[in-house]
Amino acid sequence: MFKKSRVTFKILFFLVSVDALETVTQLCFKKSVIGHMGFQVDSLTNAALFLKYAVLSPYLWFGLTSVILTFVIWSTILSKIDLSVAVPVCSFSYVFIPLASMFFFKEQINFLRWSGIVSILIGVILVSLSSGHKEGAS
Amino acid sequence: MKGGIVFVFILITLTSICDTISQLFLKSVINSLDFHINSVKKAFQFVLMIMKVYRVWIGFLFSTLSLCIWLLVLSKAELNFAFSVDSMHYIFIAFASALILKEKFGTTRWLGTLAIVAGIALVTVS
Repeated sequence: MFKKSRVTFKILFFLVSVDALETVTQLCFKKSVIGHMGFQVDSLTNAALFLKYAVLSPYLWFGLTSVILTFVIWSTILSKIDLSVAVPVCSFSYVFIPLASMFFFKEQINFLRWSGIVSILIGVILVSLSSGHKEGAS
Repeated sequence: MKGGIVFVFILITLTSICDTISQLFLKSVINSLDFHINSVKKAFQFVLMIMKVYRVWIGFLFSTLSLCIWLLVLSKAELNFAFSVDSMHYIFIAFASALILKEKFGTTRWLGTLAIVAGIALVTVS
């Protein structure tokens, strides 16, 4: 049976979009509850009320749409490459977020963090390369 | 607060395990389907096909569980600490893929995975 398992640029693009969409999801969810931060969820009625506020917020629905989209892209990725390649390569966000905060918010990145970023990049490259050879018949 | 940290550590391990299990279910279902996706329409059709397999829903159950525990973790620990401990998730995924899904593992992939785990620990702790 012919089975591709290479990490192509297309798959890499998908993996990066999964990362980006996951960030969007988190931001939307956070935004949907941010007006009710002081809300005490201490009883079932209060929990229901809290849920009602969240459900009425459009951000919750943006977030849920993004969850579905993420799932579709993630399934597509998994149909093409190994799980043990897809998951580590998705750790790209740990590189993007510090770099983005440096460019957009002028945050300082110290030596330890730089070495972490370099280590992740090396890891991602190694894992991607390891999927280069074809799988045996299985 | 030594006990507190140990408790949080156990909780994070539990989320990682639940997450790994849910990914295993999803990947095993996808492996069993053998479908070639080459368009957006096909991708959505594929997802509909996946949804019809009950094992995927067991996977979803585990991701929900993982999310609930993770929320509990976030209410107890700092985000930095939580994320750096959560990087062990990659080790679980690696072992599970090798043992259960029988994915071929070379030294390169192990080294890469370890470099990523070390890197995440450095980025989140610093």
